[in-house]
Amino acid sequence: MNIVVVIKQVPDLVEELELNDTGTDLDREWLKFKVNEFDDHALEAALLIKDAQGANVTVVALDNGLDIDKALYAAAAKGADRVVKVTGDFEGYVSSHAAAKALGAVIPSLGADLVLTGVQAVDDRDGQLAVLLAHQLGMAHVTVVTDINVSGSAATVHKEYGGGMIGEFNVQFPAVLGIQAAAETPRYVPVAKVRRAMKDTNIDEISADAAGVDAGTEVQKMYKPETGSGAEMLSGSAEDIASRIVEIIRGKGV
Amino acid sequence: MEVTREIFRHFPLWMEISFYIAAFSAIGIFLYGFFRRYKKYKKGRPSGRFNQLGKRFAAASKKMATNETIFKRDPVAGWGHLLIFWGFVVLFIGTTIIAIDHDFLELVFGFSILKGTFYKVFSLCMDVFGVLFIIGLLMMMFRRSKKIPQLDYARPDMKQGDFSRKGYKIDDKIFMWVLLLIAISGFMIEGLRIAVDKPDFEVWSPVGWQLGHLFRSIGFVGDNAFFATYWFHAIIVFIFIAMIPFSKSMHMLVDFANLMFADDMSAKKLPGVTEEKMKESMGYTKLEDFTWSELMDFDACTKCGRCHVACPANAAGTDLSPRDVILDLRTYADSKSGISEIFKQTFSSTNNKKEPALAGDIISADRLWSCTTCMACVEACPVGIDHLNTIVNLRRSLVEEGNMEDMLQDTLQNLGDYGNSFGKSDRMRARWTKGLDFKIKDARKQEVEYLWFVGDYASFDARGQEISRKVATILHSAGVDFGILYESEKNSGNDVRRVGEEGLYEMLAEENIETLNNAQFKTIFTTDPHSLNTIRNEYPDFGGNYKILHYTELLLQLIKEGKLSIGNKLDKRVTYHDPCYLGRYNGETENPRNIITALGASLVEMPRNRSNSFCCGAGGGRIWMDDSHMKERPSENRIKEALTLEGVDVFVVSCPKDFAMFTDAVKTSGNEGKIEVMDIIDLVEEAVMMPA
Repeated sequence: MNIVVVIKQVPDLVEELELNDTGTDLDREWLKFKVNEFDDHALEAALLIKDAQGANVTVVALDNGLDIDKALYAAAAKGADRVVKVTGDFEGYVSSHAAAKALGAVIPSLGADLVLTGVQAVDDRDGQLAVLLAHQLGMAHVTVVTDINVSGSAATVHKEYGGGMIGEFNVQFPAVLGIQAAAETPRYVPVAKVRRAMKDTNIDEISADAAGVDAGTEVQKMYKPETGSGAEMLSGSAEDIASRIVEIIRGKGV
Repeated sequence: MEVTREIFRHFPLWMEISFYIAAFSAIGIFLYGFFRRYKKYKKGRPSGRFNQLGKRFAAASKKMATNETIFKRDPVAGWGHLLIFWGFVVLFIGTTIIAIDHDFLELVFGFSILKGTFYKVFSLCMDVFGVLFIIGLLMMMFRRSKKIPQLDYARPDMKQGDFSRKGYKIDDKIFMWVLLLIAISGFMIEGLRIAVDKPDFEVWSPVGWQLGHLFRSIGFVGDNAFFATYWFHAIIVFIFIAMIPFSKSMHMLVDFANLMFADDMSAKKLPGVTEEKMKESMGYTKLEDFTWSELMDFDACTKCGRCHVACPANAAGTDLSPRDVILDLRTYADSKSGISEIFKQTFSSTNNKKEPALAGDIISADRLWSCTTCMACVEACPVGIDHLNTIVNLRRSLVEEGNMEDMLQDTLQNLGDYGNSFGKSDRMRARWTKGLDFKIKDARKQEVEYLWFVGDYASFDARGQEISRKVATILHSAGVDFGILYESEKNSGNDVRRVGEEGLYEMLAEENIETLNNAQFKTIFTTDPHSLNTIRNEYPDFGGNYKILHYTELLLQLIKEGKLSIGNKLDKRVTYHDPCYLGRYNGETENPRNIITALGASLVEMPRNRSNSFCCGAGGGRIWMDDSHMKERPSENRIKEALTLEGVDVFVVSCPKDFAMFTDAVKTSGNEGKIEVMDIIDLVEEAVMMPA
């Protein structure tokens, strides 16, 4: 079977974050980037399937210039069979919509039975990439996945809900899974192996120019959390509180 | 009557011929046995130890002649072994002289040197050393009868019943008894010969003379008694010779070679991995990965158990025993080379794997990860075995496969991403300098006399930072011209290398060396013995040649020069803990002690001190691993040792990791208030008059 894993680089929160001059994005020039933690789990989940029953793992990333080669070499060192860089105009922040559109244009050529990606990322808390990508590809999807059991052309997967609830789903391939956590901690790849991969691996480049990346949302303002004021704790019976809430909302002229 | 002795006295010809056939058969088996071992070593990679052969030979000869490595910390074993050793050597030389005289000089040239005065001296020597030999053997037998714990050969990683080492015990017994019987029967032959012939000059064989009288008085004389005793002696000697390469006696030959070809930088400087080897796996996965000297290490082990009892991982109740690693690898290497050991260990729980992995199955990951790389095993070994080197080479395989616990994995990831083990941004490295009322020079931009290589714990650990500020303040007040590398410093890599992540180590070392080479300074100093070790001993291989001091050396220098004047003599009774990487690894044990006494404190030694210091448990990457499974953490064991000292309530350390480990251990062992852990700089601060 063919598994495609989508990864991306995100700002490393170990560094202090600074905004750019227009206040619409982080100042990316001084940031350090690392692979999105959830994507790392997606890759581990794919490699675990490969270890257990054999699979062809392709790792795909949008080429946003942020040390993405390093991330792809590391993926190859861990055991990915092929690494692909999707070229196009991906500078700065790429929204889930835009990413899904670009990836949706490229992944069919890779012949995926299963597409895995992180459920979310530090710069993408909406967790929509897997869903939007499934839509683009016309595949089934499950997100917040913590466990995958492949049998034949289907898999039983666990989806995590709030409060520790787990849902079990049977999903037919082809499918897109948004990975919350792999069954094991993502493996460590020694530096020597990465160096070897840098020598022995070719990063394939596929253009997604035709896809256009104008889809999705645009950030109008980015700012550090502001300290608010005037919180009011409501107490009393349910009725009292309800009428007080109505009063406040009316008072704000909504 | 001529002053000599008759060889093969009254022997019929057939008996003499039988003797030679038996002798040559025994020597044949001996040679075959050694040839097999030689073939095994030939399978090993080259180890580059054929340099300085003269120096190596002289050093090994001295160790062998004095038995100094056996005397170390065990004089009873030392004396016992020394008597056996010299007894054996002299008797062996004597026998060789007889053989040359009888089978060569007499046979070929028709003359003999074994007569007259030379014969008398010869006889006396043989008798005296024969007696010493027997005394040595009896000492060792008595010592063993006292049930020395490590000689029960229990394995910490297996339950009683899952393995059997009866073979080892039988081997030990046979070895001692065979030697004893050879010596006793030798004297009896002499006695029987003298009993009949009674030549006066044989008073020069005092033991034989007395025995001769005794035998005559009890009527134990005649050719048959002589032949029987002679053949008894001869047969066990032949068995002994034949068995040498198959038994414990192997150590008589292998261990000289092992001492001679030991690495005098062992543990201090680990071997790198060649680029060729890096291509497949940086670690050892098969027999052919070992060097011949490593393969010889496995055969050199006499199972004395000194490493076993010195090992902190073993004391902590983990699965690791350095002795068992070596013995298991001997079993492995022999089975892979088609050598069937006679005296072997057996296992009842069979490993089901068809092809068990060398690192992970043969030597389990738990055992390999338990090592603190404290070097106590290497230091304790009387025969030059380098356990540590082998453990690291096997760890490299585990790292290659990612077979490690999560915490260690995260740390290595952090070291790769940020150059420090704390996962902090490299820009935070010099943050500890905030709060100093002066600015430390930036050695990347300004020339300094001393470059301070701070290290991770002294930079990022809250307790370490406080100590670093004290060091900075005191050096500043003493007028020392020093600077740091700020965010350009990376973890030195000492423990990364010992974890087995060689690629990461190379990366860190190369980055540091590049930074250091671009800075202008005369000398490096550090508070961290781990950094000191790798910068001093391992960086030169990567092109980094620097003079590096431990801060204790620098502080002592300042005290001696009067730049630090001691205003308040300390009224304290303290003990001092030698950091493994300073004391055992680098032989620096006296500078800290001299500081402590110069400050006026009275120093009380723990039983295990200097090169015999007991590890805190943090080395070799252990500080990045979980230790909750241990029965007793090494650091707690050490604090208990310190608490046995009367009136000592200060535990002095000179290593940032030690400070963290032991302050924790005082709490976790419930000894808060009984003993205080102090860095040596704390003492200096208290004693030194700071200029106002």
